[in-house]
Amino acid sequence: MASTPSSSSSPSPSQPKARKKPGQTTSPPPPPQTKWRTGTQERLYSRRLVDALQATRDRAQPPESVGSRAVKEAADSALAMTARGQSRWSRAILFNRNSCRKRVLVKAGGKIRRNRRKHQAIPPATEEAGTTSGVLKERKVKERLKKLGRIVPGCKKLPAATLLEEAADYVAALEMQVRTMRALAEALSAAAVSVPEEEEMEIAEQGS
Amino acid sequence: MSSRRSRSRRPSNSSRITEEQIVELVSKLQDLLPEARSRTSDSASASRVLQDTCNYIRDLQQEVDDLSERLTDLLATTDMTSAQAAIIRSLLM
Repeated sequence: MASTPSSSSSPSPSQPKARKKPGQTTSPPPPPQTKWRTGTQERLYSRRLVDALQATRDRAQPPESVGSRAVKEAADSALAMTARGQSRWSRAILFNRNSCRKRVLVKAGGKIRRNRRKHQAIPPATEEAGTTSGVLKERKVKERLKKLGRIVPGCKKLPAATLLEEAADYVAALEMQVRTMRALAEALSAAAVSVPEEEEMEIAEQGS
Repeated sequence: MSSRRSRSRRPSNSSRITEEQIVELVSKLQDLLPEARSRTSDSASASRVLQDTCNYIRDLQQEVDDLSERLTDLLATTDMTSAQAAIIRSLLM
């Protein structure tokens, strides 16, 4: 399909060769809803998912026993690749799959320092922060932010704003993943029902 | 550590994130959640939104697991070429 010049609201064209630098771009990234809900992304992801599933099946042991966990990992990897490395969680998924050398890659990602945990620790006395910033310093909010950081892959030590952005993107991406996998499962089960009938018809034709 | 107190009193531009930024991000997140559409979405507390987000993400991940199981069973019984045809057909429709 021909690549059209991308306006500000449309997602980036799907060209696997031309990789833009992730992160600091001049134009603001599209909001997660529009980014992940376009038909293009769904088709892209479905194709990638099918390829990944096929590869998983070929790689499996000869009895063709593909575990559900392998399927899920393939789906997650395909999803992360569809994000084109523009979000931290997708990079975290891909790097965790390929190698266990997380520490090297965390350093390469930049600006994530392991020793800074103390700055994000919860201050026990919040009375003094009553008049300054409202929402962010509450203890409950911080607990929930931490919990969110544990759930979204690769976001355990991010500042709050970044974490919220990542979470929004992750939610939209997960929704797309669920939609696509469900559509795929429906299509496969429909195909499984119709294929035996087609075979019978072929045999009947050949027989007569 | 004393540095924690000084951080809340002294806004330094490099590390301090604006309150408005946070509120905006929280409301953006809230729009993504399914529950927010039925409820009057104004002035939902941030902690509530975060809680709902955590639950929603967990639910979505659980659905992905279930769908993976279903796909595993389907993969074992289906031939891939007819599956690809079925997929392409369903995608075009």
